[in-house]
Amino acid sequence: MHREDFGLAGEGEGIPQVNAREKVLGCAVYAGDMRLPRMLHARILRSPHAHARITGVDLTAALALPGVRVAVSGRDVPARAWGLSHKQQHVLARDTVRFVGEEVAALAADTPEIADAALDLIQISYEPLPALLDPADALTTGAPLVHAGSNLADEINIQRGDIDAGFAQADLIHEETYRTHSQYPGYMEPMATVAATDANGRLTVWTSTQSVFLARQRLAEALDRPVSSIRVIQATVGGGFGGKIVEERSSVIAAFLATRTDRPVRLGLTRIEDMLSGCLSVPETIRLRLGMRRDGTITAKEVEILADCGAFAGLAPDILIVSAMRSDNMQRIANIRTRARLVYTNTLPRGAFRGFGGTQMLFALNSHLATMAEKLDLDVFDVHRRNAIGPGDTTVHGWKIGSCALEACLTHVRKAIDWDAKRARPKGTGVLRRGLGVAAAMHVSGNRTIGNWDGATILLKVNEDGRAVILTGESDMGQGAFTMLTQICAKELGIPPAHVTVQAPDTDISPFSIGTLASRVTINAGAAMVKAARQARSQILAAAAEKYSHPEDDLEIADGMVRARGTGNLTVPLPEICRYHIFRHGGEGIIVSASHDPETVRMDAEHRGNIAPGYSFAAQAVEVEVDTETGQVRLIESWLADDCGVAINPLAVHGQSNGAAVQSLGWALYEEPRFEGGQLSNGNLADYTMATADAVPRLHSAIVDSFEPNGPLGAKGASETAILPGAPAIANAVYEAIGLRITDLPITPEKILAGLARAKGARDAAL
Amino acid sequence: MLPFDIATPGTLAEALALLDQYDEEACVFAGGTALVIALRQRMIAPRVVVSIGQLPGLSEITYSEAEGLRIGALARHAQIAASDPVRRHYPVLAQLFGGLANPQVRNQGTVGGNLCYADPATDPPSCLLALGAEVIIAGRMGQRRLPMRAFLVDFFTTALEPGEILAGIHIPPPQPGEHALYRRHLRTPAEHRPLANVALRFVAGPDGHSWKDVRLAIGAAVPVALPMDEAGRALTGRPITLAVAGEAAALVAERLEPISDSRGDAAFRTAVVRAAVRRIVAEAAGLDWTETT
Repeated sequence: MHREDFGLAGEGEGIPQVNAREKVLGCAVYAGDMRLPRMLHARILRSPHAHARITGVDLTAALALPGVRVAVSGRDVPARAWGLSHKQQHVLARDTVRFVGEEVAALAADTPEIADAALDLIQISYEPLPALLDPADALTTGAPLVHAGSNLADEINIQRGDIDAGFAQADLIHEETYRTHSQYPGYMEPMATVAATDANGRLTVWTSTQSVFLARQRLAEALDRPVSSIRVIQATVGGGFGGKIVEERSSVIAAFLATRTDRPVRLGLTRIEDMLSGCLSVPETIRLRLGMRRDGTITAKEVEILADCGAFAGLAPDILIVSAMRSDNMQRIANIRTRARLVYTNTLPRGAFRGFGGTQMLFALNSHLATMAEKLDLDVFDVHRRNAIGPGDTTVHGWKIGSCALEACLTHVRKAIDWDAKRARPKGTGVLRRGLGVAAAMHVSGNRTIGNWDGATILLKVNEDGRAVILTGESDMGQGAFTMLTQICAKELGIPPAHVTVQAPDTDISPFSIGTLASRVTINAGAAMVKAARQARSQILAAAAEKYSHPEDDLEIADGMVRARGTGNLTVPLPEICRYHIFRHGGEGIIVSASHDPETVRMDAEHRGNIAPGYSFAAQAVEVEVDTETGQVRLIESWLADDCGVAINPLAVHGQSNGAAVQSLGWALYEEPRFEGGQLSNGNLADYTMATADAVPRLHSAIVDSFEPNGPLGAKGASETAILPGAPAIANAVYEAIGLRITDLPITPEKILAGLARAKGARDAAL
Repeated sequence: MLPFDIATPGTLAEALALLDQYDEEACVFAGGTALVIALRQRMIAPRVVVSIGQLPGLSEITYSEAEGLRIGALARHAQIAASDPVRRHYPVLAQLFGGLANPQVRNQGTVGGNLCYADPATDPPSCLLALGAEVIIAGRMGQRRLPMRAFLVDFFTTALEPGEILAGIHIPPPQPGEHALYRRHLRTPAEHRPLANVALRFVAGPDGHSWKDVRLAIGAAVPVALPMDEAGRALTGRPITLAVAGEAAALVAERLEPISDSRGDAAFRTAVVRAAVRRIVAEAAGLDWTETT
């Protein structure tokens, strides 16, 4: 069932996801599938204005429609505000709407049709206010204020070393401004929630979430009621990509409606509603200035970021920190000056997205390094290698690098794509031009940021038949957390994975956990799982030792049997020992709880400190073909190497890597939310076109050999790292193909054609 | 979606009577792929939806050497793509209908519904124009025929009069030496609606190098699919080289009045059409369009 060398050399076993069967057979129960007796159907009314004062609300006609059971507006919701670092949101907009699509009223009725009809009967009057739509205007005098005070939501300033001395040492200084756009998480399952109160008013919420405990905390704030009066149960989650951490707003509205009626309420969003009430990623304008010596050594890095969080801060301040400083840790650099500002606009709130601020800055940095390598006539791989951080290093911000196979990732993709031979071929002169590009990336595995704890707890029960049940608060949103826990548990207990069940997170039953974010689940919950399984194993072996009067240290569990290692004359089926553990004087069922909190620190006021137990790395090389007549860019080859430590499930890691490659391709080339007067104008998947199978060639992903000393069985996080290098690798390849440097994403055909026309104009003028 | 009644007439005459009775309060439901979206988004709110999907005799595809091809208006895209006479005599149509939109639409949508909806961002009209198609329209007073170019009027507008139902499409039999090609351009592989398309039909001259009876048509990039007669003439009676292909492309680009919207502005659509024309002509002549001229 499992390989003996698992976790020590090579990798674990690529078993299918433990919840794959229920999904492909259509038996998985998503929140939207839930049907409770007497359940009502909710609908939301949204603001048509980017910025307006609510001057009147009239719900009477809606409430008068037969079948409508509850209708509420911002006047009915708790005054207490919810939020992360900025408490500024309410269940529904109270006095002011701050973006087109903001939720102003909600109702629930016996049928979806009645709810739809009732929505038309709600009367809201507005007094429009000047709207701030462009983040570039946010800090100018006289700009409309999104919130009282200032449009500056957050500012980060970081200085390391001596920036002027660093630039003075440089043989080449290059400065460029890059622009990145928002991306919609694009999970298959739009948000859905069912909420119900019981006779005592206690609230239960079944929802699609990456973290039941963050969801409960937020509901407690938003509904202004004690944490323990709420129970959040994770339904099957059809993808999250960061959008379902804690910023989506619909689950809060569903829960509030349930508290206002004595009946269960279902709120399932359409795709357009999901695009409006989830969150898009944070768009950033990044001015980057790098100093480099002739040999490729970076001597100074100056960064200025202007990021747009839309109407509410949400997790964007945390994302800003990542954009501002994470990429510094990928390289051995000493002289840094960074100023990053986050501003409000009257647009959709922006927030967490796979990569969490890394994609934006790594687009700038990798584009920059390729440009500078060319200017200095250096091999871009050599530039990456010369500056690359390595195992045992402490970075400029105090991060302690345990395992790091960044160089191996780069070497792998260079060879795999046949870089040197392809670069040596003659430049094409035809309509279709090909080019190669590469980019490197770093991400955290875990992050001590939500309070001074980045731990995980696993409750493990071993039943009387020797099979195990795992209780965890960490969410499986499709990425494979339950499979990872199953595999570790099975390996450590010596039972087949099929004998392990993972219960979906439930705040009443599961141990407290932070949830699925910051690529933290494998490295932290995986470590807790190792501890819990080993604890259970020693309890079992102690019981066996007692029952058979055999030295405990000579016993082991393998293939579902407890047996003696040395003499081999003792072989007992595991269930027999598990029953014995209960059925004796003073006995009990086997239930253990184990926690793991990594030895990390919160960053200090100057943003220093080792925040994560491990750091993941990746590199990607791509070949593209540019159609110089239509401006279309086609991906020809993609090779991605992920340093995620020991892969507990290589099949799952490859799935994550390939999915990340597709999602980054979508961001780089196709996906762009478009706004007209603050209104999302392509809020559907026909006009907001994500990359599909037709957009990609066969994707290649590799897991490079590394062993994370702080990770369970050598593992660290996968998946987020893999989305980071795609966009700059493509931009670099486009540059190599046609000599056009695209600095503002996405790389659209219009930008390609305009760039080619400019270049032709310049050539013609020179003749 | 607002409530409506649904009527399921058993004959074409009954369907026409219903349309006559309810006039502007009625709309016709064929495959429903576009109509259901319009209903759900409340773009339309009919009192009666007349479902003609079950009408007998309107989905047949027949071919004769004398008459050519007749496609019933209720033939589904996938059915046309798989039809034996279509594959044998009009392979370009098999290609078009086999690649249109996505499998769901191909299995559910009908060619009649597609033409009557008259959404510019679609595939069939330009190719049907190039093939010299006519439409057959049924009304209470009987049937009438219209050339395709007269049927297509404007954005979402056809020459169909109130109370009429599109019954079928007629395409003349291919002439000896006739060739037809069709190409479309999608902005991204995820898009199921073309940004531009081009159809080319010609009869190879006896010398094998020059063409006659050339018909070139552009679709999707323009409000209604358009024949490009001037470019067609430029491709007539002379050896086709890459330079000639470029010349035809330039003629088309010069005269094009493209749609300009968020999916592609006028300049971009013109560039795409120009490339598409150059390529289809080059391909038809067996030339390599990837070479720059």
